[in-house]
Amino acid sequence: MKLQKVIAVRTSKTVYRDGDLAIKVFDEDYSKADVLNEALNQARVEETDLPIPKVIEVTKVDGKWAIVTEFIQGKTLARLMSENPDNMDEYLQRFVDIQLEIQSKRVSMLNTIFEKMHRKISQSGLDATTRYELHTRLESMPKHKKVCHGDFNPSNIIVSNDDVAYIIDWAHVTQGNAGADAARTYLLFRLEGEDEVAEKYLKLFCDRGDTAKQSIQKWLPIVAASQLVKEKPEQREFLLRWTAVVDYE
Amino acid sequence: MEKEKVYEIVDSVEKLEARLANLKAAQRQYVTYTQEQVDKIFLAASTAANQARIPLAKLAVQETGMGIVEDKVIKNHYASEYIYNAYKNTKTCGVLEEDKVYGYKRIAEPVGVIAAVIPTTNPTSTAIFKTLLALKTRNGMIISPHPRAKNCTIAAAKIVLEAAVAAGAPEGIIGWVDEPTLEISNLIMREADMILATGGPGMVKAAYSSGKPAVGVGAGNTPAIIDDTADILLTVNSIIHSKTFDNGMICASEQSVIALDKVYDAVKAEFAKRNCYFLKGSELDKVRKTIIINGALNAKIVGQSAHHIAALAGVKVPEDAKILIGEVESVELSEEFAHEKLSPVLAMYRAMDFSDALDKASHLIADGGFGHTSSVYLNTITEGEKLAAFEARMKTCRVLVNTPSSHGGIGDLYNFKLVPSLTLGCGSWGGNSVSENVGVKHLVNIKTVAQRRENMLWFRTPQKVYIKRGCLPVALDELGNVLNKKKVFIVTDSFLYNNGYTKTITDKLNELGIQYTTFYDVAPDPSLACAKEGAEAMRAFQPDCIIALGGGSAMDAGKIMWVMYEHPEADFMDMAMRFMDIRKRVYTFPKMGEKAYFIAVPTSAGTGSEVTPFAVITDEKTGVKYPLADYELMPNMAIVDADMMMVMPKGLTSASGIDALTHALESYASMLATDYTDGLGLKAMQTIFEYLPRAYENGANDPDAREKMANASTMAGMAFANAFLGVCHSMAHKLGAFHHLPHGIANALMINEVLKFNASEKPTRMGTFPQYDHPHTLARYAEIADFLKLGGKTDEEKLDRLIQAIEELKAKIGIKKSIQEYGIDEKDFLDRLDDMVEQAFDDQCTGANPRYPMLSEIKAMYLSAYYGK
Repeated sequence: MKLQKVIAVRTSKTVYRDGDLAIKVFDEDYSKADVLNEALNQARVEETDLPIPKVIEVTKVDGKWAIVTEFIQGKTLARLMSENPDNMDEYLQRFVDIQLEIQSKRVSMLNTIFEKMHRKISQSGLDATTRYELHTRLESMPKHKKVCHGDFNPSNIIVSNDDVAYIIDWAHVTQGNAGADAARTYLLFRLEGEDEVAEKYLKLFCDRGDTAKQSIQKWLPIVAASQLVKEKPEQREFLLRWTAVVDYE
Repeated sequence: MEKEKVYEIVDSVEKLEARLANLKAAQRQYVTYTQEQVDKIFLAASTAANQARIPLAKLAVQETGMGIVEDKVIKNHYASEYIYNAYKNTKTCGVLEEDKVYGYKRIAEPVGVIAAVIPTTNPTSTAIFKTLLALKTRNGMIISPHPRAKNCTIAAAKIVLEAAVAAGAPEGIIGWVDEPTLEISNLIMREADMILATGGPGMVKAAYSSGKPAVGVGAGNTPAIIDDTADILLTVNSIIHSKTFDNGMICASEQSVIALDKVYDAVKAEFAKRNCYFLKGSELDKVRKTIIINGALNAKIVGQSAHHIAALAGVKVPEDAKILIGEVESVELSEEFAHEKLSPVLAMYRAMDFSDALDKASHLIADGGFGHTSSVYLNTITEGEKLAAFEARMKTCRVLVNTPSSHGGIGDLYNFKLVPSLTLGCGSWGGNSVSENVGVKHLVNIKTVAQRRENMLWFRTPQKVYIKRGCLPVALDELGNVLNKKKVFIVTDSFLYNNGYTKTITDKLNELGIQYTTFYDVAPDPSLACAKEGAEAMRAFQPDCIIALGGGSAMDAGKIMWVMYEHPEADFMDMAMRFMDIRKRVYTFPKMGEKAYFIAVPTSAGTGSEVTPFAVITDEKTGVKYPLADYELMPNMAIVDADMMMVMPKGLTSASGIDALTHALESYASMLATDYTDGLGLKAMQTIFEYLPRAYENGANDPDAREKMANASTMAGMAFANAFLGVCHSMAHKLGAFHHLPHGIANALMINEVLKFNASEKPTRMGTFPQYDHPHTLARYAEIADFLKLGGKTDEEKLDRLIQAIEELKAKIGIKKSIQEYGIDEKDFLDRLDDMVEQAFDDQCTGANPRYPMLSEIKAMYLSAYYGK
């Protein structure tokens, strides 16, 4: 395996290409459990017929954990969006359709979004009162079992040369509510400052998924709290405002 | 100096479990307390909470940073004084109510340990309210405060607990959690016997999904409609009073005002005059973005002043602004002002008319206030229709009229019958189990002790029964001299008419100068068509008296015509509906006798119809028989004159005579039999055994036998008019209908099968009736045998002799031994047997039978009777 051609660099991981293979190499201090979990998640989702690059092996390269998958030749949807802003509506529609397609799948062995969100709220660093409100809000949500990508944004979709949209980065996949997954995507757009795209996305998702806007909005304080765990100072004020809400009494 | 009591801090699952164990033990002790002890504790706890109203109010505002001290004082005062006052005399322990006559008792028992979820908006008052209710009902209570209000909530609970314990309550009857977490509140809900949840929908949902019975309450979004007939001064100032109370944190508080176009400007002017601030231009959007974040209420505005909220939004308003009012149009959730705001922020809508206002209010309630509270201001004297429309349209459990909704919804302040409460049920619309204001009755289990009682029975006959050979004209004398009847309608059959039987009647009527007409087309098994024809003739003639002369057919037809004449609207399907208990039947039979007086004169000895409330009519188109039974059908007068029976043919004498015997036998065995019907039944049977063979043999030559049989038939009729019949008649009805056997013969063929069947002391099922306490019909039959002096030592022997005697009687009067002998085709009988069985099972007569028959048992009796084995 040759680690020469870097195709992406992310916090604590680097992705290389070697022929037909993509090799995601994690930093030395990266949790072994998280690496194995990510590979396992991806392998589980592979069992659906979603177009995703297959896991070839999990290995160690120079003492670092690495996941080897198929390499998909193409451009990310994010890049296509920025290259052809005139086609934005079309891309966004395709983006939403892919998300709905993922959510139509069931993979019973995945972790649940409830456990994950409860954990994230506990780790959010928010004050006890707000955490209590958020835990309570989360507990009252209906329990669904849809596959939720967990980090669904246009940079995680690669449109291949033959126009198949492959979905990558399954590290955060869970089973749970479509509303939570959509809320997370909406939040990601808003954090990028893409407010207009965010609103368009939300409307499209509601229209195409036949969902009420409120059922997604209800998740926003929760996904905002989960984002606080990443401790990005520039996002803090924004996220705190989103979490400081109460249920009606 | 008194030392402050120290309580162990509950901040972990382990400590909570220990606390719950103590609480449960304390509650087990509290169950044994009397009403007197409980009331003493209730008074002491209420008094202590009342005295602490100001410090607790200060503590609540200080800790939560929400609301207004002075208003919270009112809430604490209300929660102690009003709740005490409402329940001070309410029985909550032991026997609440006892009715010794009915053997009915209601006993109140506590539910156990109640988990109480307390909200941040009204923490101390809700804690006082709930703990007082728990103490009054002998329940323990574990409190799960909200983290934002935990100190003041616990302080309130402590005051109530300590006063209760000082007054004798078990130590630790009220407990709380010091460090609330979701895990702990879930555990509390799982461990408690019941949950009393006041709070946001999340907490209420958690309560309902805990698997424990929960009384939860929901969110409100109260709209207030202001009609153009409203008293504007009262209306606007009521709304201001309510909306500003504790900075708008009462869940019943108005969230929007919908003013009718005509008064909109006047309403606005009054609001403005009283220092309410109308948001202008861009201010509206600034406040919108401040109060709601992503569709959820901004925690920072809850219970804050108008000025403070405006400042957060970057809007400058006077320091003393009371309410921020946004004049908006949309009632959709996309409009921030359409939400519940828990603060002095109000939406104001303009409605074209009242109907538009109703649409808007309904929509706002659907947005987030299903089941809670709605409010309307109008002139209640002139606008009854509008108010009725409002009541009908609002899916809310409280509909308030001309009342500030914060104060109005919690009860006893602006209406003195609405129960005072700080937990307002929102019914199924709000996903709640309770739709009323929650009170002590929701926190007790009621045991109902019901002792066995026997059913009231009755004895009903025509007002007048005249008896004696030759009495007919004498009895009819009354028509002229006493009853003043003017027009008589006679119903009879063509045989009786053509043979001059009506002459006795018409001669008398002529003598009395009473007009009459005669309908003589009644055929055996009278049809609906015939009854309709008769009723038509009655309508033309307008009689004030009907005389039915004949056998069962003419008397039954007369009764039906009577019904159709008096109540042409009555439906036969309804009247023929089967009932289990004639007193509880679904259908109310029309009142009879308002147009005509009904006299029955039997010309055969058997049917008893002259004294019964029954009539059978056949729909000739479908062949369906409608058996009608109701005491309204009872004739007003029966005239039993054996002269009218002298020339009865032999066949009719035997068939109707044996029918009368089965009436007596079945009414005697019936579960509804009484001493009154027994006497009549026994005498009738004795008479029939003695005189039926003579009447059969001698006919008109034996007038004594005829008269005896006439009386026996009427006596048996009176017995079964009150005790009813049994499965023999059920089977005979269907046997007659399926195979065209005369009714009396059909009964004769089945009766001994039924005697054997009913006599079983180990029946598959006995009948259901309190008086019928064990299967004892064999002994009843033995009583008959004894009365008839048939001999026999044991009950079994006596039954055998009774059966034997009936067989002998049947033989003497020419009744054959089996259904087969009457020429009923075996194949046809067997082919339709199952159908006949099912219909017999469902016959109205089956209900009074002492043994409840299985279908297979009816079938076996039919088969046995068919072959005469």
